[in-house]
Amino acid sequence: MFHLEPTIVSLKNVTFSYKGSKRQALKGVSLDVKQGECVAILGPTGAGKSTLACVINGTVPRFIEGSLTGEVVVDGRIPEEVGTAQMASRVGLVFGDPDTQLFGMTVEEDVAFGPANLGFGYDIIMERVTRAIEDMRLQGLEQRAPHRLSGGQKQATAIAGVYSMLPKIMVLDEPTSMLDPEGKARVFSIIRDLNKSLGMTIILIEQEVDDILELADRVFVMKSGEFVLGGTPDEVFASVDKLKEVGIRVPSVVEFGYLIGADKIPFSVDEAVATVKDGAWGKAVDEASHGITPKDHAREGDTASLSAQHRATPTDETTPVIEAIDVEFSYPMGVKALDGANLTVYPGEFVALVGQNGAGKTTLTRHFNGLLRPSAGDIRLFGKSVLNEPTANLCSVVGYVFQNPDEQLFSDTVEDEMRFGPMNIGMDKDRMEEAVRDILVDIGLDKYKQVWPRYLTKGERQRLALASVVAMDPEVLIVDEPTTGLDWLESLQILEYLEKLRREKGKTVLIVTHDMNIVSLYAKRVVVMANGRVIGEGTPREVFSKPDLMEQAYLRRPQIADLSDTLWGEVLLTPREAADRLKRTSTTNREVVAE
Amino acid sequence: MIVEYESKQTPIHRLDPRAKFIWLVATIAISIIWTNPVYLLGLGVLTVIIGSMGEFPWPKMKGTFVFLLIVTAIITLVQGATYLPKAVWMANPERVVFRLIPSWVPGIGPAWPLRIGGLVYGICMALKVFVVLIAISVFGYVTSPSEVVQIIVRLPFVSYKFGFVISAASKFVPVIQMQLATLRDAERSKGVDFDSGSFTERVKKTTSMLVPLFANALSMADTMALAMESRAFGYSKNFTMIRPYKMQAPDWLMVVLSVGGLAASIFCLAVFKLGAL
Repeated sequence: MFHLEPTIVSLKNVTFSYKGSKRQALKGVSLDVKQGECVAILGPTGAGKSTLACVINGTVPRFIEGSLTGEVVVDGRIPEEVGTAQMASRVGLVFGDPDTQLFGMTVEEDVAFGPANLGFGYDIIMERVTRAIEDMRLQGLEQRAPHRLSGGQKQATAIAGVYSMLPKIMVLDEPTSMLDPEGKARVFSIIRDLNKSLGMTIILIEQEVDDILELADRVFVMKSGEFVLGGTPDEVFASVDKLKEVGIRVPSVVEFGYLIGADKIPFSVDEAVATVKDGAWGKAVDEASHGITPKDHAREGDTASLSAQHRATPTDETTPVIEAIDVEFSYPMGVKALDGANLTVYPGEFVALVGQNGAGKTTLTRHFNGLLRPSAGDIRLFGKSVLNEPTANLCSVVGYVFQNPDEQLFSDTVEDEMRFGPMNIGMDKDRMEEAVRDILVDIGLDKYKQVWPRYLTKGERQRLALASVVAMDPEVLIVDEPTTGLDWLESLQILEYLEKLRREKGKTVLIVTHDMNIVSLYAKRVVVMANGRVIGEGTPREVFSKPDLMEQAYLRRPQIADLSDTLWGEVLLTPREAADRLKRTSTTNREVVAE
Repeated sequence: MIVEYESKQTPIHRLDPRAKFIWLVATIAISIIWTNPVYLLGLGVLTVIIGSMGEFPWPKMKGTFVFLLIVTAIITLVQGATYLPKAVWMANPERVVFRLIPSWVPGIGPAWPLRIGGLVYGICMALKVFVVLIAISVFGYVTSPSEVVQIIVRLPFVSYKFGFVISAASKFVPVIQMQLATLRDAERSKGVDFDSGSFTERVKKTTSMLVPLFANALSMADTMALAMESRAFGYSKNFTMIRPYKMQAPDWLMVVLSVGGLAASIFCLAVFKLGAL
């Protein structure tokens, strides 16, 4: 029983302000973590989660300067006094972006980096390296260069690099934020092993709530530098209203349990199925309306309503906005990224392009504005081949938003960034100024007009990147991974804005994403890619109803789809739909019994 | 490196990195002291044979070779027109092969004679460049960057931090290259046409990428420093990840041949003028 174990991390009334900032990043935080415990910390961006992680390993305030008050004791030592390097053998810290924490030329060398810094002899180092590589399932990759690994393998290497120092505590700061579903599954499986099999104390900062439910012994929710909720997962996830208010995505089975008034909130599909089958649920309660709640856009995507509501029925007369016909493409090093890809997008559609990393999603979309040219096949916009059209001409028709906002913002102020594209394409000045003004208000950045874009939060920078492309008024918007590294609220802001553009301005939206929750909420059509080809498509319901297709593309459907399929043999997309379905079934059953 | 390291099990890949390094140094040294193109050609062939034993991907060098051929052709012509070596074996180095401006050009022809001695010297310079480039490329292809760092940290008066900086810098080169490509694509997606406009305009278009590039690099360096600190970088003054390399017979053979070859060429050049022009 973990509660009998000694406390290994103790924070009492900890407050921290970064140097030069009046704002408190942490406000009187207190936390006790027992040895062998797995504690999850949730919260929106800017809540203070990463600062807390750095306090625990001593980088705050020794490396990252600022004013720290309160009491911090980790494994019997005060990190501020001991120093980060000394603490490194007690507390390992893993970050979200694996590229900035891999230092070796090979996997083996990277894993050896920590023990070598600690001054161990070669034999001891190699003993630890071998063990870490084995435990993190990296055998066979020892001599591989880190930049040639997949995202999941990179993060596993980063964890192995910390693990080889044999710390008692591992703090993981959003370790899966940059990974595709397969990579996420691998990392969560490793974290589970570290905690359950190897007995390591885990402090896991995450946005992926679905995966932490069964993993965490306790969950804490942070907002604005303080804990606003804390306790066992049962206790925390019973507060659905509060979680929504903070901006945490409530796992769909949890929300389902909440909506049906379950006696005990289910944390997994199996538990939810058991709850329904045992009749351990009561009167359904109304869905909470705090914070931003996504409208059930995806329901509009039902087969019955798809053509009527969202696009002209794709009859022979409808001219598609985008057509990719048997497109092939190879990168200079000879990697064949597209192998006969076919895709048709109609005006006013909201299409999600899904598939694992390397499936060819981004490569295909980069053909639509001429960034890449196919080695075979054709690309057509509005029925006309554009193989010889320069990007400078195509960009006013097809707007492209890249994954990382920091790689697409060039100007000194938000306002100038908005003007950058329109000026390049020669937009009329009055029209440009009007567009800049209106879009900044629409996307909630009008108060930052004169601010340097780098000073904005990641979510704001992502919105600015999108807005600066929208300002060019393209017919089609392609958004590559719009939610990577963002919290749930920020993700919804982006997606809501895209949906608004589609609904009110008739824009065609094509997103590349791994997030199946976003797909089920917003996409009207899902296109699945694998090995450089489109291997299936349909409404979210249709695609989620094909387990073989999902498996072939290494995708995992949302929990609620699994649940409804198990219970009723049909795929539903939102907890509300599932709750209504249950209510209907139950009423019908009662009527049958009454008759 | 022009051709990136590839992990293979060839006899050259398997050699001790120190043996490979000594071969590289010896090859470069010999190519510097020799001035006879026939000898240099022989050295070039030997380097190509060693590269081929390491399964060096020669087609990947095509673009570089073409560029180098143009550059060395210009060097050869300039040498032919301007330089007259004191050749050991050449009977008449002043003999004019042809003139750059022939006699039929009214007013100024004939002018700029190209003499055999200068041309041969130019060819010799070109061969030196080729030999050095091929040797470095082969070395880079058959020796992993971590082995290079291992060699550096073994050198006297070189701290392991220096070796680490070399290693980290080489690792970030492809990352920065990828970022630059993405920034360029992002600019193109916002209507920037890099192929049009005056020279000044093109430079201006390119410089707008520099601010985000540097800002991203600084941010990356910041996170990297934090991650390094968290993994005890700087805790110990000595880097202990020194691989215990053990020289085997093939390694010694390579060392003996390289050092012996260098010593022999110096001796033969000094005493018998072998290898001299």
